Amino acid sequence: MTNGRTNAFLIVALFFWFPEVSLTNGVLTFQTKVMHLLRVEPENPKCFAEGMRDLTCFWEEREEERGSTADEYTFTYTYQNENSSNCDVAALALPLAGSRRLFFCQLARIQFFVPLDVHVLYKGQPLYSRNLFIENMFLLDPPANVTVTRTGKQGQLRVTWLPPPLKYMQKSMMYEVRYAPENSRMGKEITVEAKTELILQGLFSGTKYKLWVRVKPDGITYNGTWSVWSDPILMATPPSDMDPLIILLIVIISVILFLLSLTLLLSYGRFLLKKLWPDIPTPEQKFSGLFTVHGGDFQQWLGHSNSGRLWHPVCVYSEESPAPLEVLSEASLRPPPTLRPNSPKAPCGAAQAKEEGKDTREKEGVDSGSIDRWLEPPHARWLAEQLRAFQEHPAPLSQSSLLESQDAYVILNQNSQHANGEATEDEILEESLPLQALFSCGETSTESRSDLGSLRQSSGSGRLSSQSSFEYPNHTWPPLGPGYTYMAVADSGVSMDYSPMSASRLTDTGKGPIYTNNYKNEILAHRQLLTGQNFHSGC
Amino acid sequence: MSYSSGLFALLLMVLEWTRLGLPSPLRPICDLRVIDQFIMEARDAEAAMRACKEGCRLPGPFTVPLTRVNFDVWEKKDVQEQAREVQTGLWLLKEAISSLQVVGNSAAQSHIDSSLRNIASIGQVLHSLSIQEYIPPAGVLGEQETWRVSSASELFQVHVNFLRGKVRLLLANAPVCQQDAS
Repeated sequence: MTNGRTNAFLIVALFFWFPEVSLTNGVLTFQTKVMHLLRVEPENPKCFAEGMRDLTCFWEEREEERGSTADEYTFTYTYQNENSSNCDVAALALPLAGSRRLFFCQLARIQFFVPLDVHVLYKGQPLYSRNLFIENMFLLDPPANVTVTRTGKQGQLRVTWLPPPLKYMQKSMMYEVRYAPENSRMGKEITVEAKTELILQGLFSGTKYKLWVRVKPDGITYNGTWSVWSDPILMATPPSDMDPLIILLIVIISVILFLLSLTLLLSYGRFLLKKLWPDIPTPEQKFSGLFTVHGGDFQQWLGHSNSGRLWHPVCVYSEESPAPLEVLSEASLRPPPTLRPNSPKAPCGAAQAKEEGKDTREKEGVDSGSIDRWLEPPHARWLAEQLRAFQEHPAPLSQSSLLESQDAYVILNQNSQHANGEATEDEILEESLPLQALFSCGETSTESRSDLGSLRQSSGSGRLSSQSSFEYPNHTWPPLGPGYTYMAVADSGVSMDYSPMSASRLTDTGKGPIYTNNYKNEILAHRQLLTGQNFHSGC
Repeated sequence: MSYSSGLFALLLMVLEWTRLGLPSPLRPICDLRVIDQFIMEARDAEAAMRACKEGCRLPGPFTVPLTRVNFDVWEKKDVQEQAREVQTGLWLLKEAISSLQVVGNSAAQSHIDSSLRNIASIGQVLHSLSIQEYIPPAGVLGEQETWRVSSASELFQVHVNFLRGKVRLLLANAPVCQQDAS
């Protein structure tokens, strides 16, 4: 009976009279347990057993009992089939509990596996009562000697601890391990049954982990509340280490890839280079010394070059010399008009591309009649005549340096047939219309002609309207400059292939863009004239 | 003919030899999970009996063992005394449970059957631990370690507490198992 009082006195003394005295572990643990149970245990009185030979029950002072003393409480307990016993109540003042006091009693006689009735009376009146089994009220100390070691494997730690030193309960324990990275608040908990060691897996490499362990009876024979967490233990996982096999595989694969790429590069290097960095064609070959000696000054080059004479009036054509075309037109063509050496343009016989436009067509109408003559003779004959004519008249045919260079562009003028300028060009354009070659004349005269001006934009029209250069009575030859772009037209009867010849780069400046488009063969579809287009480029 | 008789004699000798080997002690069952399983089943039976009010009748009060364990007192007893106490209690429980009359409650009946089977199994476990079988002779039973119950739920509560307490303590601290451990 006095045992409880002595304990209480000691505790109070330690708390109040000797605050500097370091509290023993047992008292601290007791205090911790009381505080813990105050939070988690709902029933009153709150009882817990620390070992196999004790039971402590306590309760908190209520508002109604404020200022009461321990003497005003009566604590009785009764085991089944036995008489009741009394327990001495003592007061306990915890510093954290504020001003409220605690009263507790430690039972003298302990019997397990038998129901126990507990009654608390305040001033003779029943205050609390409870029926319990002591073996279900365990509140153990947290596991001691928690040690953490590395296992030698990546992301693993081994945790071991000592079980509570209770004789009959060694195999009836349940543990919980909590672990979290040092600075993180997210922790994981793992429950361990009966064993006192655990290997944590799947941890981050090279991280410091904090670990706690707690214990509780497993609930089959003995039961209780979870103990408080043990003091945290810190341990870092081993830093990440590359598996040597993985390193070897990576090296092998990279070597293989390197060799493969090297092989590919060597075998297809040139091809790839050509694709990725295509050569920009330069006309250097045709103009010897233009870039090297004269620094790109064409005028200067002309003055110095032997072939400058041939170029007057300057008419540059692209370095690419297309093969002579065979004119295979089946349509009847008028014989080409006789070459008029006088007309600087007439011998050229160039046909001009013309955009659709009724006005132009109207103009054409005048010409068409004379142009009609073109269409009658067969192509071959006409072409031969043209060639002969060019050869006979080299000078006026300065533009025909094309021919000298064995280029022959012939365009067949279909539009010319319609005297009325109707859009009956379609009739002329049969599928049989074969080749159309465009002769381009040299000089660029005024560009005031609207039709010509619009020529530039007619690239997308796809409609062919050709104008005979031979019959242009009212106006000068359309300003076909030396910088024309010529288009060789090849008609296979199914499709028309246009291969535009770009003019010299020199003459690109300032004259407008060069349009090169792929024209579809609209003869079949629309029965329209297809004409090559003149593209102005400066000459 | 002599061969066949000789072989027959040999066969008999072999059989005799194996028969002699039979009474050797069983391997000791030291794993406490066995008794834990019985305890869990007994708890289920107690819960079922608490629910069974009408159909589960006990004809007259029955003597049952005391289940209380004071460790100081218990540890003072030697193993034989503990064994006797345990076996007496098991016998009493067996008598009481088998006399239960269950009407119209098949679940309760199955619990009763399993409880009786478990009590028999515990006897075999004790036997494996070299604990001699003991049946209390009539009239020896004193009032010290027994008391009387009148309801089925009380009976099964005693059954659970007895298994959890004395029976388990005896099995956990059987000398045979302690020797193996150390």
